[in-house]
Amino acid sequence: MKKLLLTFWVMSFLVPVSGWAKMDLVTLPKRDGVQVTIYNSADLTLVRETRELTLQKGINRLQFSWANTLIDPTSLEMLPKAQADKLVIEDLTYPPRTQNLGVWTIKSQVSGKVPVEITYLTSGLDWRAFYMGTLSGDEKTMKLEGYVRVGNRSGEDYEDAQVRLIVGKVHMLDQIAELAQRQYPYGRPDVYPTSAAAPMVMDEMKEMRAPRAAMKMAMASYGGSAPKAIIKEGLSEYFLYTIEGQETVANGWAKRLPSLGPYAVPVVNLYKYEQERYGKSVVRFLSFKNDEAHKLGQTPIPGGMLRVCRTVNEAGYLSYEGQSDFKYIPVNEKVELNLGTVQNVVVEPTLMDYKIENHTFDNNRNVSGWDEVRTFKMEVKNTRPVAVTVEIQRNFPGQKWDLKSEGDCGKYEKVDFDTVKYTLELPPRSVKEFTYTLRTYQGKRVEAAKSN
Amino acid sequence: MRRKIGSPISMIRRGCCLVLLLILPVQAKMDLVTLPKRDGVQVTIYNSADLTLVRETRELTLQKGINRLQFSWANTLIDPTSLEMLPKAHADKLAIEDLTYPPRTQNLGIWTIKSQVSGKVPVEITYLTSGLDWRAFYMGTLSGDEKTMRLEGYVRVGNRSGEDYEDAQVRLIVGQVHLLDQIAELAQRQYPYGAPAGFGFRAKGDSDVRERKDEMNKVEEAEVSAVSGYMMLTDAAAAPKEIIKEGLSEYFLYTIEGKETIPNEWAKRLPSLGPFDVPVVNLYKYEEEQYGAGVVRFLSFTNDEAHKLGQTPIPDGMLRVFRTADEVGHLSYEGQSEFKYIPVNEKVELNLGGVENVVVTPTLMNFKTENFTFDSDRNVSGWDEVKTFKIEVKNTRPVAVKVEIQRNIPGVKWDLNPDGDCGLYEKVDLDTVKFTLELPPRSQKEFKYTVREYQGKRAE
Amino acid sequence: MKMTTWIRSGLLTVLGCAVGLGSAEARVKMVALPERAATVIRLDNPSATLIEEERVLTLQKGVNQVDFSWNGVSIDPDSIRLKVLNHPDQVTLLNVSYPPNEAALVWEISSAEPVEERVRISYLLANIDRLITYRFLANKPETQVDFKSYLVLRNFSGEDFGTSRVQLDYGEAFEQAIGHEETKQLLFLDAGKVPITKVWEFDANQLPWDPEKVEGNVGIPVSYQIENKEASGLGKNALWGGKVRVFQDDGHGSTIVLGEDSAALVPVGEKMKVNIGDSRDIKVVQRKMKEERINLRKNVNDQVVLYDTDEIIKTTLENFKDSPAVLTVIEYIPGQWDMVECNLKYEKKNSEKIEFQVALNPKEKKELMMHYQRRNLR
Repeated sequence: MKKLLLTFWVMSFLVPVSGWAKMDLVTLPKRDGVQVTIYNSADLTLVRETRELTLQKGINRLQFSWANTLIDPTSLEMLPKAQADKLVIEDLTYPPRTQNLGVWTIKSQVSGKVPVEITYLTSGLDWRAFYMGTLSGDEKTMKLEGYVRVGNRSGEDYEDAQVRLIVGKVHMLDQIAELAQRQYPYGRPDVYPTSAAAPMVMDEMKEMRAPRAAMKMAMASYGGSAPKAIIKEGLSEYFLYTIEGQETVANGWAKRLPSLGPYAVPVVNLYKYEQERYGKSVVRFLSFKNDEAHKLGQTPIPGGMLRVCRTVNEAGYLSYEGQSDFKYIPVNEKVELNLGTVQNVVVEPTLMDYKIENHTFDNNRNVSGWDEVRTFKMEVKNTRPVAVTVEIQRNFPGQKWDLKSEGDCGKYEKVDFDTVKYTLELPPRSVKEFTYTLRTYQGKRVEAAKSN
Repeated sequence: MRRKIGSPISMIRRGCCLVLLLILPVQAKMDLVTLPKRDGVQVTIYNSADLTLVRETRELTLQKGINRLQFSWANTLIDPTSLEMLPKAHADKLAIEDLTYPPRTQNLGIWTIKSQVSGKVPVEITYLTSGLDWRAFYMGTLSGDEKTMRLEGYVRVGNRSGEDYEDAQVRLIVGQVHLLDQIAELAQRQYPYGAPAGFGFRAKGDSDVRERKDEMNKVEEAEVSAVSGYMMLTDAAAAPKEIIKEGLSEYFLYTIEGKETIPNEWAKRLPSLGPFDVPVVNLYKYEEEQYGAGVVRFLSFTNDEAHKLGQTPIPDGMLRVFRTADEVGHLSYEGQSEFKYIPVNEKVELNLGGVENVVVTPTLMNFKTENFTFDSDRNVSGWDEVKTFKIEVKNTRPVAVKVEIQRNIPGVKWDLNPDGDCGLYEKVDLDTVKFTLELPPRSQKEFKYTVREYQGKRAE
Repeated sequence: MKMTTWIRSGLLTVLGCAVGLGSAEARVKMVALPERAATVIRLDNPSATLIEEERVLTLQKGVNQVDFSWNGVSIDPDSIRLKVLNHPDQVTLLNVSYPPNEAALVWEISSAEPVEERVRISYLLANIDRLITYRFLANKPETQVDFKSYLVLRNFSGEDFGTSRVQLDYGEAFEQAIGHEETKQLLFLDAGKVPITKVWEFDANQLPWDPEKVEGNVGIPVSYQIENKEASGLGKNALWGGKVRVFQDDGHGSTIVLGEDSAALVPVGEKMKVNIGDSRDIKVVQRKMKEERINLRKNVNDQVVLYDTDEIIKTTLENFKDSPAVLTVIEYIPGQWDMVECNLKYEKKNSEKIEFQVALNPKEKKELMMHYQRRNLR
């Protein structure tokens, strides 16, 4: 906290506004505590710090400056934590011909020490979640471990801070980083804030950061012998992760902390075939549900990249299976993690038969309608040494159709008016085959067709 | 001062630059006699064109026989072809033989006057000049209940003609005159009437004009700082001057009482109208096709006696509307409206712009087609489209307002049935209807209407 | 702004000299500079700011000239008004002159007696205005917010204002000084605890029908609604538009940011709607299960000239949260239509828009089925 300066001016009641120059300057003690709440859907962090002010009876002026930081000056707020009824914060002024400076006017009925809380928004801190999954040899369970990585490029060192992370999508109008670089905090009437000075500030900041970061040898950390726990709770539509104890996140540094598990999650090896979506290849999914039956379900799982390995022998050696960037998973939601296309499960549709029939004719005896009948053979092959589930979707857009399936087609389901789905279970190293006959109605025959 | 950029501008000099010399009696032997100052001057300023008619009276001392009178107008913006002299006495004994623009001179004209008398003769010299202008503007102050507006009109007269007009009678013309040439352009010709086509120096002459313009511009720039301030020394009138208004032909003439001095480069604001306490109607209009989805506020009144007006037309100008905000007469700014010339007895609606505190929301609640007709081939030949609209009108203001809602109905033939509190319903033209509602302070109204549009054969 | 009085009577000769014909000197200004007093900054009109200031003029009998200049400040000269306050019957404004190349004017004021006269000068001043911002702190169960509104004065007019009365379009005027290039933020409305309604909204025209097929997260927009009425502790005046930031008490003596939105002007009796963010714990999947032409009408060539359609839409609504939610579902059916069957109650908002309010218990999944027929398509 070297750049956020809080200086304190005390003046008697009667000194006119123009008399600031003659005010006494009181340097404040350091901040007593700081809490950062970092968002990942926007470049946004809420900082809350507590400080102890020494006030005099009457009008007090408190100066706060934030040069070389990325804070949004319009978000500054001060709240007394004691004697609240005897203190009035009259205004917050951004004096003319200064930058990165605000002055609070506080009217106090008491003299002495008063703890206050100062909150503001800053940009430059971020966090993201990522995961490691380890499949068991039979691929029926996956050991799931979650981590968060917290980074700080805010221009400010946060020492001994309580770190909290917000999972969720907040609605923001402005970029905090942009607000932080305005010449005037609220802009000026009719003129948009000039951005000409902005890049310079950025460059300056980068220069300043580099040596500072280099000087830091390590992050002072709390001396516990176990990894810190993360406390999770729901707030409004978001989830709040609070990292136990205090952390120091120096500017330019990032930190990784375990956030989830390890949990042994039962998973389904799911293979999907849908030509319109995935092309001719089969795509592998790992499917599970964020619920108790799957050893999960306590909290939602923030979106992130999952890297999946598989245990290949008794000694615990691993083989890399693939990765999947997944979305936020609510509690009780079923999730299918896309691990990419595979060659070892194959679905092959073949058009076996084609005919046209049931022609209709109009008054001039021209052809006005007909049916097209196609018979497909579907061959499904599992070359893997484990059992798999295969989902096959077929689309018939913009047509009127009837369908008949024959053979071992598993579970048949109409998904919507132009999509059907077959779900098959295949034992290790097995092949299944079925056929379906699709009749599509053309021209006048559409009218004759029954509802399907 | 609404001066067009690029128009010739002020020439600098102090005092009179229109110099009259009397040359006596025949060319060879020329006595120069300096004339007394002009005795009086009247300027009649137009606002539809950069045009001012100047009429000055001077007293000449003539000798029997041929007199030559030299008139020069360097550094002014007068049209030399408009120069005219009229004797105000002995008119039957004086003949103005000609007006000559001597060769190789500029801004110089010589009148030849044949006189049967000797002695002093008053003459009137008239000419047109550019560089003076005037415009009207207005201030309106609404009463607290917004039922009356105190209307005050002003004229602002500006002078950039290069000439100081001292103790001039100032008259203003409201109306559109037809002019072929720009007076400012005529003022800068090398030869007053130009030269016949093919005249050898024409091209040069043109460029001369251009150069001279440039020079003038330069001079003006250079002199800006030196332009001396001028005190206006007027008669010690204890009341603002009245403006006498009268109609002349298609125009209206405003004559400012007494004499005004308008030094070059100065402008002057004079009260021209009122104050009148005009009853006004707070009128709010909604018409999607014209104003979009918002409501537009108007102040409406008629230029007639019932509205404490109606004496004269009101020249076009900008009206700034204020409202009395408290007992001690503090004001609040409500908006402004630029309006056109308002003839006597004409109703005006001053557009004060979009508002958010009166809201009109139309919603299409129901749509259906029916009564299909088929032709002999059983193709569709006609049908009805039936639309039901709900109109919500909300007045969030603490005063009563009047709301006019216009709806345009496409289609050749239609029927409309209003339903509910729709106020006054009126068919404006073939495809427009109007609902006029009165809303008390902080109130809302809702009504419906169903319109049946006949399509194709059904229109028959 | 500067102001000078020229007293013409008695000084006539002096002025006559100073101003003599052809003189190229700068305009002579003289005598007292009356101090500005009782200044009012009126910020009730978002498009222009009106300044009113009072000054005491020492007037001589006869015609006085008062010079008013505003170098470096943007004033609309036609908007300048002068009002005589003490002796309107004795003191009269005769006319106004504008000197060349100066931001100034000269009033000619006639006075019947030598008098100290208070006048009020009004004018529209550019580059000074106000913004409104809101800061809401929601309680943990999200039933109410601490409602605070701030006024931000921005003065970039070129003029320093000492203590002036600042008047908004309602409420008491207050005293404040504001210098040129200064910005000030003041708390001006603390409405205390104001009840809110939390609203989740699925709009079938705005959001994807199948979130599975979309890359990235699909959330259901969540907003707070606040009624500007007396029962809410508001309702006295319209709420101005401005930026709203919403925070929430986290139950540990701290807060989190819920989001921000831009609110439009809210007249009394209307609702302010503030979008705070997206809910990822409510999922809506919508599928069209049927679309068929029926009721065909044909011409002699056996071509269909008019038909209806028979359509079924199935929507799955799922609440993964531990708390209940009332989800607003907005569906669109264009043209003329009849609902054949619908398993949930709806309200018709306009000819093609219908709205459902679906109450979802914690972890509840519901299905919405709409079976409708669109009429007379061609």
